[in-house]
Amino acid sequence: MDKYQQKAIRMMEWLMLIAAILLVIIGKLTGDTFFLRLATEALIFGGLALSVDLLLGIVGLLSLGQALYFGFGAYLSAVILRDWIPSFWVCILTVTFASALLGWITSYIALRSKGVYFALISFGLAQVFAKSIYNTRSLGASDGMVGVPIIQIPLPFVTLNLGDAVTFFVITFIFMGSIYFALKYFLYTPLGRIWAGVRSNESRLPYLGYNTAAPKRIAFILAAMVAGVSGALYPMLRGFVSPELMYFSVSGNAVITVVLGGVGTLIGPLFGSSLLMILKSVIGTLTLHHHIVIGLIFVVLVIFAPKGIVGMLSTKLKNRGVR
Amino acid sequence: MLESLQYIFAPQIINGLSIGVAVILMALGLTIIFGLLDVINMSHGEFYAAGAFLSVSLMSIGISFWWTLILVPVLLIPFGILMQELLIKKVFHHKDRHILTLLLTFGVATILEDLYKIIWGANTAKPATPITGASEVLGVMFPNYRLFLMVFGAALIFAVWLLIYKTAIGSIVRAATLDRDMSASLGIPVNKVYALTFAFGVALAALSGVLLAPIYSVFPTMGKDFILMAFAVVIVGGLGSIKGAVIAGILLTQLQSLSSLYISPVWSDPIVFAVMVLVLMFKPSGLYAGMKNG
Amino acid sequence: MSLPILQAKSLNKNFGGLRAVGQVTFDVDPLGVTSIIGPNGAGKTTLFNLLSGLYIPDEGQLLMNGEDITQLDPVARLSRGMARSFQITNLFFDLTVEQNLQLASQKLESWPKLFYATSKSPLTLQRAQELLEEFHLEAKKDESAGALSHGEQRRLEIAVTMALRPKILLLDEPTQGMSQGDTQETSQLIAQLAKNVTILLIEHDVELVMDLSKHVIVMAQGEKIAEGNPRDVRSNPIVQTAYFGDAA
Repeated sequence: MDKYQQKAIRMMEWLMLIAAILLVIIGKLTGDTFFLRLATEALIFGGLALSVDLLLGIVGLLSLGQALYFGFGAYLSAVILRDWIPSFWVCILTVTFASALLGWITSYIALRSKGVYFALISFGLAQVFAKSIYNTRSLGASDGMVGVPIIQIPLPFVTLNLGDAVTFFVITFIFMGSIYFALKYFLYTPLGRIWAGVRSNESRLPYLGYNTAAPKRIAFILAAMVAGVSGALYPMLRGFVSPELMYFSVSGNAVITVVLGGVGTLIGPLFGSSLLMILKSVIGTLTLHHHIVIGLIFVVLVIFAPKGIVGMLSTKLKNRGVR
Repeated sequence: MLESLQYIFAPQIINGLSIGVAVILMALGLTIIFGLLDVINMSHGEFYAAGAFLSVSLMSIGISFWWTLILVPVLLIPFGILMQELLIKKVFHHKDRHILTLLLTFGVATILEDLYKIIWGANTAKPATPITGASEVLGVMFPNYRLFLMVFGAALIFAVWLLIYKTAIGSIVRAATLDRDMSASLGIPVNKVYALTFAFGVALAALSGVLLAPIYSVFPTMGKDFILMAFAVVIVGGLGSIKGAVIAGILLTQLQSLSSLYISPVWSDPIVFAVMVLVLMFKPSGLYAGMKNG
Repeated sequence: MSLPILQAKSLNKNFGGLRAVGQVTFDVDPLGVTSIIGPNGAGKTTLFNLLSGLYIPDEGQLLMNGEDITQLDPVARLSRGMARSFQITNLFFDLTVEQNLQLASQKLESWPKLFYATSKSPLTLQRAQELLEEFHLEAKKDESAGALSHGEQRRLEIAVTMALRPKILLLDEPTQGMSQGDTQETSQLIAQLAKNVTILLIEHDVELVMDLSKHVIVMAQGEKIAEGNPRDVRSNPIVQTAYFGDAA
């Protein structure tokens, strides 16, 4: 990662922060909740995008089925909050551990393959899971589960009400920000370098003394956790979950946002997810056929700017720097 | 025992086979595109759908089913060529080719699916069965159309295999895709070969769509639903292997049709995928190696 | 007489019906350069792959410092002090030179250090810096490995293998594709390294081999046909015929 890329990333981080602050201010002043809730949802799916980027951009594994963990987290969260105990902390902690466990188990299936096969196996896994949930009546079958209560977050000296759009947005922003910086930290550790090694030249790694299975598994489990915890926030925001959350379109969209933002940059996917959400709602008001427009944008992107927005930004910076 | 074989299993087996050949045809297109061109075509299902839609439209203006069998694949060849030339070629030389072509074709699939909704509406259509009636085979009655499917499909699969492995054209294609530069220096128009191969692959998908339309009906999301099965077959058989696609195609469709005897059909997809995942666990590259290694 | 650092006993490897390496037996004494030469297709690289753990021999035994390492994988062999380089440059091209060396050096630290920022891994940073200096790659440390010249890449390739201070270094055609100047430089580098490390070399450049080596093993068609010091091997008629008129 050269210094222009790093600079571009830093600029994007500031952009996101400023945009968030602006959004909060406008939200508080106008009392409008629509854009805040949209932004919150964008960030939640941004978490899923982070999970995809961890695997794709950092380790080099294209997963077409991260929605599995996202949906798992969402359903588990809904069940806990609605049917067991409406506690934020219990929910988050349980989902974190459960996602890690699920990630660990599925890693033994998924990581046996590489490259294209890994992509297709992750795709298949998500499909099996989604169809199984779809068929399960106790989980609401095709209708999903509704009636998830709005919850509070008890902290030492204040209780936050997630029913308030501003509060929820800020919480989600901090949440995703923490995940983002945690992942970013990992990138600069020896483990992160091993991941880069796997992405760059996996077959050489054993000659440097590393079995590649363990680092890959760690990344896989981390990605599952990130996706799962992001998913857990979904029913808190929308009050329901449905099998659509695990469909290929969700996984596919996540990949689109990663490419849109910039593969391997971590901030790119967060930004891309926000951008996609904005695009969808803007285009959605203009025409019913927003899929075509988004599809077109995506195709153009893949051909002309495969490094995404962060990539374009860093190229601009480089050109300016050279002059 | 023999009776249950006759009345319970045989119909399911034949049904499975008749669908199986269509699935195999579609999977063949996919596996040829991957095996020879090294491209994962996520839009393959949309060409299948296009075939079905086009055949319905053509039949509605009076063209007979049998003519659509020929016309539809031919009509789609230029689209296949266009897609290869305009889109796929642009990312082909990138080192991340696999991912980029996957994403690219995924984007195209998104566009096409919505496009079908615009052109043909969101409703389901079901063309009339081209061959009505049933015949008796080994003491059991089978719908004639399904019997036709089996025979026609099998012949077609055999023809494809012959074309690729036993004809001059086939060897040109295989040469061009195995060693691009060498072939070019031998005077082979490599770009044209690539474009035609891709077009051939998607034409097979379209043909499959025409054949299965009377059975499965035609609706905008049919591509997405069916591509999962096609991919499962291709993966289990081994990306790039024709033999693998045939065997896996038969295996998986039989699994699907026979399992519906015991388990509710909604579970048949998960079962097929579970089998796919299982196969990949023990044979990470599918049952058979591909036309290219690696 | 000190114990040979590496002992190969009747190594055999077949691929399908083809015998790539047959009944190869030799010892490698510590330090200095031992070279393996032979015409194309002699089985040199297959032998290297057997020695480094990429392949397991069908028959035969491999001992390192007296220990049987025949069945061990490359990771295990590395922990016993055996490293190898590759004929086709096999670096992490996306990463910078410095990152390549850090990645190669980080095994020097204990495993919990994997999860801490690199700044907490002084051994890694130090070793990477040493290697940069030793192999004259300091100026290019922030360049991506893919952007280096061929000669620089081959140097980096050797540097990466030296990172963990191996006892025996297997170099697979280190001067492959190099210019005269680069070859000279590399030759000096290898001679320098050979003072502290045992080096086993495959090379096509016969002059280089004769200059550097204290011991030469000649292979042809999967078998060892001669061995000895450079002078003797050079004048051995069997070797000369095997090369069909190569510069003798």
